[in-house]
Amino acid sequence: MHIPDGILPASVCAAGYAATVPIAWYSIHKIRKGGDPRENIPKASLLTAAFFVASWIHIPVPPTSVHLVLNGLLGVVLGHFAFPAILIGLFFQAVMFQHGGLTTLGVNAIVMGFPALLSYYIFRFGNIFRKDSNIIAGVFGFLAAFCAIGLSVSIFVVVLITNIPGGFDVSTERAAIYTLALAHVPLMFIEGAFTAFVAVFLRRVQPKLLVRA
Amino acid sequence: MGRKWKLVICITSLLIILGLPTEVHAHGVVIKYTSDIEIEIVATYDTGEPMDGAQVLVYAPDDPSTPWLTGVCDDKGHFTFTPDTSKPGIWDVKIRQAGHGGIIHIPVGEDAVATGSSGGGYSGLQIVLMAACVTWGIIGTALYLSSRKTARKRA
Repeated sequence: MHIPDGILPASVCAAGYAATVPIAWYSIHKIRKGGDPRENIPKASLLTAAFFVASWIHIPVPPTSVHLVLNGLLGVVLGHFAFPAILIGLFFQAVMFQHGGLTTLGVNAIVMGFPALLSYYIFRFGNIFRKDSNIIAGVFGFLAAFCAIGLSVSIFVVVLITNIPGGFDVSTERAAIYTLALAHVPLMFIEGAFTAFVAVFLRRVQPKLLVRA
Repeated sequence: MGRKWKLVICITSLLIILGLPTEVHAHGVVIKYTSDIEIEIVATYDTGEPMDGAQVLVYAPDDPSTPWLTGVCDDKGHFTFTPDTSKPGIWDVKIRQAGHGGIIHIPVGEDAVATGSSGGGYSGLQIVLMAACVTWGIIGTALYLSSRKTARKRA
């Protein structure tokens, strides 16, 4: 789901950065308002490392393969830290492995980071139930990650389909993009189930690690 | 024929033989050669998976905006073409599939090189080592900050 350098026109890359700045600012603003940010930095660092490595875990979905994203998990566990964490993870992926790109860092941050922030709010929506239980944590954990991947794929598809360069056969490229998007449907369930499991597990052993407030 | 004429014929023949050029022309032979450079592109994802069915655009040096050739990679991610050697310079090959792809610059002519790559070309071990270094750096930072916080609380 990482868009590499040279795929998008310069204007779209610039728009990606332009959209990333206010979201990063909003996240940092909320982090500062939430008390001492240093308390959550170890947790954010660990999950940044998990996000960084997760893109190398591929799941074969014939005729292609998809890799783990974990943006829903980061949203559920990190809250407002999720967007900066993903931004840092994407930067390292682009610099170290050319996975993604520096010109498309902003666009990729929107593709994967914005849904992570949204998944935090989806998970927090579980607070409308007075009784906190494993079922609620599991259901909203699943929904958060499920929607995060779904939204990421939707943004990815829209960005690519509206920016197919001249020379390439549009219908062939569209078909390839739709195939890749469909291949992410199993990933929505896999990451949803995994995040639900983590949410229930953390609620049992260390509820403070879950950002529900 | 008198002896005198026989002697003249022998001397003349000898002179003709000795006077022949050293270059010998037998049957007419025309030997030509044309230098056809076939370039094979191999496109794979960084996982090693071939870019089966990826679209390929080839641009000649004299017109970098209009594709000189278009095509599709086969099921092994291979695409072969023969550039026009009358157009020396850098040939660009763009490959794309579902938003993934890249561009490779291939010199044709005097500066031609046998092989080239556009990717990072890291081995599996290098990737694991780099991932381990970055992960350890991030986790180490987390542990360092965590230990400082604990030390402050104890103090």
